[in-house]
Amino acid sequence: MYRYDEFDHQFVQSRTTQFRDQVMRRLDGRLTEEQFRPLRLMNGLYLQLHAYMLRVAVPYGTLRSDQLRRLADIGEKYDRGYGHVTTRQNMQFNWPELVNVPSILDDLAEVEMHAIQTSGNCIRNVTSDPWAGAAQDEVEDPRPTCELLRQWSSLHPEFTFLPRKFKIAVTASENDRAAIRAHDIGIKIVRNAAGEVGYHIYVGGGLGRTPIIAKSLNDFVPRDELLNYLEAVMRVYNRYGRRDNKYKARIKILVQETGIEQFRCNVEAEYAAMIPADITVDAEELERIAEYFSPPKFEAVSQNSGEIEAQRKADPEFARWCNANLGEHRMAGYAIVNVSLKPIKGAPGDITSEQMRVVADLADDYSFGEIRFTHEQNVVLPHVKRSEALAVYDGLKAAGLAAANINKITDIICCPGMDYCALATARSIPVSQAIAQRFADPERQTVIGEMKIKISGCINACGHHHVGHIGILGLEKSGVEFYQVTLGGDATETATVGDKTGKGFSQDELIDGIERMVDFYIEAREGQERFLDTYRRMGIAPFKEVLYADH
Amino acid sequence: MSSLKHKGVGPQAMTANGLRKGPVVYMREQLDWSTDYAEALITEDEEIIAHMDEAAQLASVNNLVVGAYFIDIDADSREPVRYRERFRMNGPSFDPGRPTYAEHAKTHGATRLSES
Repeated sequence: MYRYDEFDHQFVQSRTTQFRDQVMRRLDGRLTEEQFRPLRLMNGLYLQLHAYMLRVAVPYGTLRSDQLRRLADIGEKYDRGYGHVTTRQNMQFNWPELVNVPSILDDLAEVEMHAIQTSGNCIRNVTSDPWAGAAQDEVEDPRPTCELLRQWSSLHPEFTFLPRKFKIAVTASENDRAAIRAHDIGIKIVRNAAGEVGYHIYVGGGLGRTPIIAKSLNDFVPRDELLNYLEAVMRVYNRYGRRDNKYKARIKILVQETGIEQFRCNVEAEYAAMIPADITVDAEELERIAEYFSPPKFEAVSQNSGEIEAQRKADPEFARWCNANLGEHRMAGYAIVNVSLKPIKGAPGDITSEQMRVVADLADDYSFGEIRFTHEQNVVLPHVKRSEALAVYDGLKAAGLAAANINKITDIICCPGMDYCALATARSIPVSQAIAQRFADPERQTVIGEMKIKISGCINACGHHHVGHIGILGLEKSGVEFYQVTLGGDATETATVGDKTGKGFSQDELIDGIERMVDFYIEAREGQERFLDTYRRMGIAPFKEVLYADH
Repeated sequence: MSSLKHKGVGPQAMTANGLRKGPVVYMREQLDWSTDYAEALITEDEEIIAHMDEAAQLASVNNLVVGAYFIDIDADSREPVRYRERFRMNGPSFDPGRPTYAEHAKTHGATRLSES
């Protein structure tokens, strides 16, 4: 994993000191709220519905056990004993006090963390595949590329005041676990016919009030040209992106209005006019960064240990957890452990300080001290020996973290909604809980199979509802919450924006309608079809009919 | 929707967030601030509303509160009209295992903002 060098330490420490001074000046009135607001936002501090909220950056979702323990300590010392994993693989604290935030930032800096660029119209935390470095299907570990982008984009003087916020995601696998085509720039690490590694660049994706799937901009950018090429894209956006209308300021609108062909011409013209030597990163530096992500010292162990099979037979619950929560690792005898933060009665993505410590201890004991946060608001222990899966399961179970529901109907992405968010129009957490309770039976979840439900509490779509197999959007009219449904959305390599079904529902009507659709799917599916496959085969009409059957 | 410059309809209350700690607060009859909505000054009297406006601006200038604004109050229920404001009043609803904001305030008592 990346470790700070002397410059990084100095930089983060100086920002913390600077923010402490800014907070002091705000408290004693030397700064007005109007002056202070952009300064606090640059440090990830929002004023939400009930309190301040601090968003801590977790670069590409990767963190060490000591960092997770520090987050646990912060949750306990300065918040209400828990944190919330976000869809940008960050962690939010919902109840910090302004007077304590400089101390929180000091505590974070001690473990090489900060909250810089988790807000504002800048390049936000670069996200990636939570299975990076462990996945069987990756061309290479995408994290060195993410780290390169992090270093390039941190306080980049040209891109600190973009027309709007800017989100980049990187994957190196055919199976897109990072939702790259829902991003302003999506990067897929690929190999060309000559076997060289480079980058397929997608541009202009995004959710929010105008959901658009990113378009292919360049199917092969050589490795040493990445930063120059991205800089050209950013310059085109910075120059032509609309600053007159907040709702039309994202790059997706620029690409849509310009057309991808013309946009590509603009990028190429900009690229041709650049002096490549300006920011080209030499191979030695790339290698230096990559070394931080060298694989851990895996042991040579057999893939098919009879032990785990016997354990699975002896404990059906453990077997179910293995089936749902273990991913295939690139090393024989190892597994990727996906830890669900979606217990039936919980709030999706919430994890208590106590649970964070349990995960950190398990990471130390069984996963080389490495942890990942996922954009689906779960946690990953990336490198666990299959023979030690039961020990990890037992540890998780004792901490209430053994929900066997990864990719199941109760593994729901859900924004904080009206329960916390100042922008929300309706609650989303109680809806996710009601769905989870309706489908709590683990056998039923297994029968249903892969299902991605995503819930947003307003049209800003932080809960990614546009790309849910079933997407739910919470709205409010005259003091009454209601929920609109989209169907057939997909955040993966076959990315699709879901189809709107029509008029909204009350929460109770919604849950009944979802159940009818699920029952219909089970009746109608052919072979191994997922809900999404059946929907694609049959179209919206029959699903809409059962959804609105009682309406 | 009402605002700091009162444009609302019917009874009004004044709300804000405390600057130092961030909690939702309401202006009391004494023109100071409490985290307990039950203590909120609710009035239709334009003269009192003008005093509330001045007091809120002063509290903002004195770095006691941030983002002060008037909210419309239902004359019958005496609760905020807007759905969002009812949430600010009650706090998060979702987790029975964790004290809600209102329960937290009940346990710890209402907090009044002070200059320090």
